[in-house]
Amino acid sequence: MPIDQQKALLFGAAAAVRLLLFTAFPSLPNLLTGRVEISTPVTSFKRLQEGVFLYTHNVSPYDGGVFHQAPLLLPLFSLLPNPAYYPFATNLLYTIVDLLGANALMHIAESGQSATPRLFKSSRKELRWSSIAIGAGFLFNPFTITTCIARPTSALTNLFILLAMAKASQGAGSTFVLALSVASYLAMHPILLFPPLLVLCYDVRATKSKSAPNPLAFTAFHVLSLVVALGGLLYLSALLTGSWEFLGATYGVRLLLPDLTPNVGLWWYFFTEMFDSFREFFLGVFWLHVVSYVPGLTIRLRKQPLFVAVTLTGIFAVFTPYPSIADGTLYLSLVPLFRHLFPLMRYTFLASSTILYASFIGPAFYYLWIYAGSGNANFFYAITLVWSLGLSVIVGDSLYAALRDELDVERPELRGKEVKRI
Amino acid sequence: MSLISALLALRRDPRILKVPPYLSALCILVGVVWLLVLPLNEYSRNTYVSENALLPGQVHTYFTGSEHNIFRAYRHEVAALADSPVHERTQRLGDIFRSSNLKVATQKYEYHSSGRNISNQNVYAILHGPRADATEAIVLIAAWRNMAGEVNHSGVALVLTLARYFKRWSLWSKDIIFLISGDSTSGPQAWVDAYHDSHSPESIEPLSIKSGALQGAVAVDYPAGPWGHRYDKLHVVYDGVNGQLPNLDLFNTAVSIASGQMGIGCTLQRMWKHDDSYQERLQTMLRGMISQGLGHASGPHSSFIPYHVDAITLQTVGDGWHDEMSLGRTVESLFRSLNNLLEHLHQSFFFYLLMQANRFVSIGTYLPSAMLVAVNFSITSIALWVQSGRGASVPNPASTTPNTASDSKPKASTPDMTLARTATGAATLIPTASLAITERHLFLPLAFILTSHFLGLLPLYIFNKTPEPYLRLAFDTTTVVTTLLPLATALLFSKFRRPTSQETILMQCFSLLLLGMFLSALATLNFSLSFLVGIFASPLTFVRCISPPPPNSTSVPGLVMRNRKAISGAVVGLLVLLNPLVVIRAATFYWGKDVVDVLVQAAEGWHVWGLWTQVVIWLVWWPAWFAGSVVVAGGLFS
Repeated sequence: MPIDQQKALLFGAAAAVRLLLFTAFPSLPNLLTGRVEISTPVTSFKRLQEGVFLYTHNVSPYDGGVFHQAPLLLPLFSLLPNPAYYPFATNLLYTIVDLLGANALMHIAESGQSATPRLFKSSRKELRWSSIAIGAGFLFNPFTITTCIARPTSALTNLFILLAMAKASQGAGSTFVLALSVASYLAMHPILLFPPLLVLCYDVRATKSKSAPNPLAFTAFHVLSLVVALGGLLYLSALLTGSWEFLGATYGVRLLLPDLTPNVGLWWYFFTEMFDSFREFFLGVFWLHVVSYVPGLTIRLRKQPLFVAVTLTGIFAVFTPYPSIADGTLYLSLVPLFRHLFPLMRYTFLASSTILYASFIGPAFYYLWIYAGSGNANFFYAITLVWSLGLSVIVGDSLYAALRDELDVERPELRGKEVKRI
Repeated sequence: MSLISALLALRRDPRILKVPPYLSALCILVGVVWLLVLPLNEYSRNTYVSENALLPGQVHTYFTGSEHNIFRAYRHEVAALADSPVHERTQRLGDIFRSSNLKVATQKYEYHSSGRNISNQNVYAILHGPRADATEAIVLIAAWRNMAGEVNHSGVALVLTLARYFKRWSLWSKDIIFLISGDSTSGPQAWVDAYHDSHSPESIEPLSIKSGALQGAVAVDYPAGPWGHRYDKLHVVYDGVNGQLPNLDLFNTAVSIASGQMGIGCTLQRMWKHDDSYQERLQTMLRGMISQGLGHASGPHSSFIPYHVDAITLQTVGDGWHDEMSLGRTVESLFRSLNNLLEHLHQSFFFYLLMQANRFVSIGTYLPSAMLVAVNFSITSIALWVQSGRGASVPNPASTTPNTASDSKPKASTPDMTLARTATGAATLIPTASLAITERHLFLPLAFILTSHFLGLLPLYIFNKTPEPYLRLAFDTTTVVTTLLPLATALLFSKFRRPTSQETILMQCFSLLLLGMFLSALATLNFSLSFLVGIFASPLTFVRCISPPPPNSTSVPGLVMRNRKAISGAVVGLLVLLNPLVVIRAATFYWGKDVVDVLVQAAEGWHVWGLWTQVVIWLVWWPAWFAGSVVVAGGLFS
């Protein structure tokens, strides 16, 4: 079967599954929207509805203190018919978002930047999955499907992150910057992907053209265009809402964590327990921790920029203030791009079992805490720790595998030997 | 460092792969023995009331004397209504409540399950507590018919009398709701669903009057006819739907009031005679576990527990000298205790196993047994994963048993060795083949396991939707089909796509991994169900596909290899006995129940009470059994 036909079949099947779930179980979207594992205060579809309601009634959407999402989402969703009565348009939008994301992911896979970037040829580069398989892994991942049904705005963020990666791995500088600025505009933390993706974009550009562009000029141009694009988006938002107060309600909430609704991350419980006098200090420490991975990984793994970007999405899924399984599914869908590292990974079984266990015991413990009343917050927090542990084991193990892969290329005589800590 | 290298060297030891089956067996054994020692004095505890506010039995009860005459009169009123139509009965009961100056409302409800139509009416009255602000309420229930289907004459009359009697007191600091439900299971369910606005409005009427948050519920089951019947003991029923239990404090309060204040003996789990011996305690505990594991509604109180309203049923049993007034005084005292509550019952345990009215074990003591049973599957699955990554088995170079074939040509069979050095400089020779990790082919095993889990939806749908007359046929057909299905699947596999031995191992690995995961998650929600399913599924850990030796093998086949088809056949036969449907049939036969009744109850549970037991059976237990059977049956056709 030719590749286009396969792709059409895959997309058709994925869209059919989603639309079927939407129509066969009309109460499912609302049930999933209420789950804390999927919807966080900054991505929830219910809160978006509240914002749209206030916006269409000419009240500032941030007045109620419920809505914390980007203002440009409001005109988009107010154009759609009310999802309480005519949910089809919204469902279709989210299905298309997933398909576009899968399309971008397949472009990344086809670019071959995962195994054979400019400066590094993996010794196992022939070991790879077809782009169709990787797209199917994203579209039929149960986490992706649940995310799509629950309709959080993190689905849109994921799409733009994937688009930015795809454009960067094709060397399309301006579209990459545009996609990344939209992703950062929606969720703030994707801006941290800029350094590795810029390196990736530079590498691809250097491969494609005869002479490598001037790194300084390249960087300056792209940083400038990122500033312009982001500034444009923010200015448009300010025009739309009539003031700059949206900055505090959206990015301020993401930065300062005033809403301690439980989620699958590590922050909420920690900041619930903390004395207020330590709050600012630990907010600084936690954010510094997240940010510190960016320069370290980008410099150490200079030769594999796409791997750095993918690993960072995994780190965001664990260490940002409001993560959900939508962030986890983005990382888990990107990992199969690095099929050539799998033989070097040592804890795949452990990590996947941990994630599997956590995703079943998590809802059970949440039920015990909230509904049955026979458990407490510690139950749920313990299981979110396990979930984060599973993700960080994959992050750590794949990092080890990537470094080992570099070592195998640099020192072929060490291949297959046991590593030792000195 | 040397310890780490020693451990790393141990990781390579082929003997390590021989340990897991024994470890799994040990886990199961310890899990079962753990449960068996629980009734001993050393492991169980005496019950105690944790919540200080309850003060059970500290008040004087005044429900005596002239109230008795009123009770007798009401009992005759109730007896006169026994054969009247539903709306007339509701009307009359409402009138009696109204004559006590209470607000009265009724509720119609209708459910459909197994082609049957369950419709009836609830009637209830609300007493506004003189010192209450209508934010909290406690419920007194009497179902018109009890679980056995008898008319609850004296129970309903007692609730009517107590309503009249409670109305005269000024000390209530919570509202009291008196509920006469149409039947024992769906009536309370319809009422409590509607109270929390989670009913389906097309078939269930909403409640026209309501009070505050429910703090507790007590049901009375006293089916003595118009001329009364003196009883011997109170049977305290406490199991909720899906195996959820009420707070142990409520149970303790009831027991301490009945036995301490009123002198009425208390019994549980139908253990009419209990001499506090080890055996009786064990039997009580096991009955409790089976009841919890089935997760069915055991009385009018059961529907309240999923809403986090602690509830029990007091049932009169036996022939003795206690009369209706002592039951009334027990309820009065219990309500005075609940009236004292400052906050929702939360102090005591929600997870416990009772082995006598005043002896229990808490979750910390008993949970390890179910967890050990669940862990045994995970251990085997990890071992199978490791095994699937190793290449063909390597003859043990240090083996002293003479290998007849290799003796003739020792050079050819000497395996390729690798020198491994530990940090201390000690060197070991390891066969290279055992160091290599072979690539695992995951697609077929994953697809098979997912398919078999989705296949479980089919019987789930069939049994919940089939009308009652066809249920027996459906059950028998499903039994035959599911028994033959593993053989047919294995045959199809061998015809069209013979799985490699690695894929067979991986199938079993994933199946057991999922089983272990589901059971350990379930153990936190419904310990007993997880334990029972774990025990019935435990043979799946030990069965293996006996694949034929590779064609170029030179060694003489052992006893197992020579008889492998016979052994596979015997194991398949054994597994047929563990088919969930066969187990259900055997259990109904053992307890003398009709399988159709069980299925009707289960379907009612699914449609009315929100019962989840069948989901566990069809989507957890059955797929695991199916996958295990297919793996073993593969040995028959290879």
